[in-house]
Amino acid sequence: MTSNLDIIVAGGGRVGFQTAEILANRGHDVTIIEPDERIVSEIADEWIATVIQGDATNPDIIEQAGIEQADAIAALTGETGLNLAVCLAASELNPGIRTIARIDRAAGTAYTRFVDAVLFPERAGARVAANEIVGSDVQTLADVTGDLDIMLVRVAEGAPAAGKQLTEVRFPAGTLVVSDDEGHRIARPDTMLTPGNRYVVAVEPDVADEVMNLMRG
Amino acid sequence: MSGSQTRAPEAELGLLDATMIGMGAMIGAGIFVLTGLAAEIAGPAAILVFALNGVVTAFTGLSYAELAASIPKSGGGYAFVREIFDDLPSFIMGWMLWFAYMIAGALYALGFAPNFLELLHVYGIVPPPGQVGAVALPVVDAAVPLAFLLAFVAVLGLVALNAVSTAASGSVETIFTIIKVSILVVFVAFGLSSPMFSSAEFQPLFPEGSGAAAILPAMGLTFIAFEGYDLITTVTEEVKNPRENIPKAIFLSLVVTVIVYLAVVTVAIATLGADGLADAGEAGIAAAATSFMPTGLPIIQNGGALIVFGAVFSTLTALNAVVIASSRVAFSMGREGQLLPSFGQLHHRYGTPFVAILASAVVMLGSVALPTQSAGNMSSLFFLLSFIIVNIAVIRLRRERPNMNRPYEMPFYPAPPLIGVALNLILAGVLVEYLIRTDPLALVLSAAWILLGGIAYFALNRLRAQPNRGPTDADTEITPEAED
Repeated sequence: MTSNLDIIVAGGGRVGFQTAEILANRGHDVTIIEPDERIVSEIADEWIATVIQGDATNPDIIEQAGIEQADAIAALTGETGLNLAVCLAASELNPGIRTIARIDRAAGTAYTRFVDAVLFPERAGARVAANEIVGSDVQTLADVTGDLDIMLVRVAEGAPAAGKQLTEVRFPAGTLVVSDDEGHRIARPDTMLTPGNRYVVAVEPDVADEVMNLMRG
Repeated sequence: MSGSQTRAPEAELGLLDATMIGMGAMIGAGIFVLTGLAAEIAGPAAILVFALNGVVTAFTGLSYAELAASIPKSGGGYAFVREIFDDLPSFIMGWMLWFAYMIAGALYALGFAPNFLELLHVYGIVPPPGQVGAVALPVVDAAVPLAFLLAFVAVLGLVALNAVSTAASGSVETIFTIIKVSILVVFVAFGLSSPMFSSAEFQPLFPEGSGAAAILPAMGLTFIAFEGYDLITTVTEEVKNPRENIPKAIFLSLVVTVIVYLAVVTVAIATLGADGLADAGEAGIAAAATSFMPTGLPIIQNGGALIVFGAVFSTLTALNAVVIASSRVAFSMGREGQLLPSFGQLHHRYGTPFVAILASAVVMLGSVALPTQSAGNMSSLFFLLSFIIVNIAVIRLRRERPNMNRPYEMPFYPAPPLIGVALNLILAGVLVEYLIRTDPLALVLSAAWILLGGIAYFALNRLRAQPNRGPTDADTEITPEAED
């Protein structure tokens, strides 16, 4: 099958929008649900996702976002309760869907009983802040990369680049395959892109979907 | 970069580029190839034919504008319909649009050949096109018409080019389009000042016998000339501020194209006469130009040569555009799992949708054997049918997703899509009726393509239903493994 997913993002604010943008760059189909008209029009300007204007807890609105065909729903508004409600409603409407809820305190990890994954942006932000405060010369990837995405990509069976050496594959400019198989060595021209193995890849957002196509099919 | 080669990412296109992509497709070959054929059916009323087609497509243009602004996906009509309809209808849409583009490719290749011969003739390299015979093939004991051979080679060349390198960027397309339009402006300017124009006769407007009814089949045949905005919406991802620029580009390109068409067709009919134009067929505009352009110029010798060059250039660039467009439809279908997954994959070395391009090429090369008129008819028919679906998609989307954000909303909804459906239906009906009378082969081939689509759809569903089929996909890939 193709590896591009149909994803619904509830909440088009800072977290929701950034998430949608990254997903869209990787070639996934994203639909955003957002009630605020001003934010809706800002998202429309960026032209990365279809936008349904309305309240994500309203079943009618979730249906308009195409819940039956969706592979995943990420409830990323600022309110934990709302996010959980959206995820529960979504799994009711489409039992096979993967649900991700944004939570606002660490204790929220207990919610994984109800959703497939939880996200705590403040903790990720705190890690970055701590790095920043210490001012270390070596920092974790999340905060040094700016627009770049540094990803761990598993090569899919049957993908165009699968089983090829790095020299044989012409990646678009703006791509750098950093690591050899499973991150034991730096990649070399003769590095083999073995299906099932994971590689550290740095990409510019513009070409992320092309790289995904080559490595994931 | 770890020792491997790289390719440059695609450029961002502005409003001008997007407009030019649409105009490039619409002005490209339709005007040069189809004018003569339209005159043959409708006489001097060919002018009306192009004007009315512009009106008909404008309604569908509104639908395209609304969909393109609210659904952020490249892939044109297929992508929109895929978003809204179930598996089967969206598959049929993609299947028809894919075919429409491939046949359009054959049409442009067939239009390229006689114009190329005319160009060679203008420079005295070959005798007049009518006297160029067939080329005897030395190996097999058969003669192949030279025009067919040229069309075949043109398709092969452009397919090869697109298969191994990423598409020419939008700015190149812009330059191409400006060249084409400039050449046509020169044509119109000389035509208007020519003595032949002042004594022009547009009477009788309609051909004897069939009368005003002759307009309809001619509209059907030339409808393909206006498919350009589907092409604009296939590159939307590369356009800046698309929610404003795409609707604008659609309307701008349509308006300018209609104006250019009307001017050129009027001049051609005024100078060469509808009968002369009809006789010249695919090289109608070129023949008209040769008749009134000045001769004895430096370098280009003959003013007509400039127009003939324009025709050759236009058919080639339009052919290139539809090679890209057809492969993109197949590529999107592959991405969506509606064709074999290999259609939706980039080639690991060339970074192009290699399998999609090759598959499109096979059909294009096969259809080069068709008569030009059949190719035009079939392509128009499939564009008409797919445009009907696009208009329905707009209506359905408004009903099922009332809360969807629509940065561009068409005025007077629901009138435009309803009128669009009605007009496209009428034209499709007239075209089918016309094909039954004059060109049953085209109709049979069209039906066969739909039938083949049905088989492919169910075979693919069967294949998908089988467990453990993941790795087997790779085996069915046509990607050649032999590398240098």
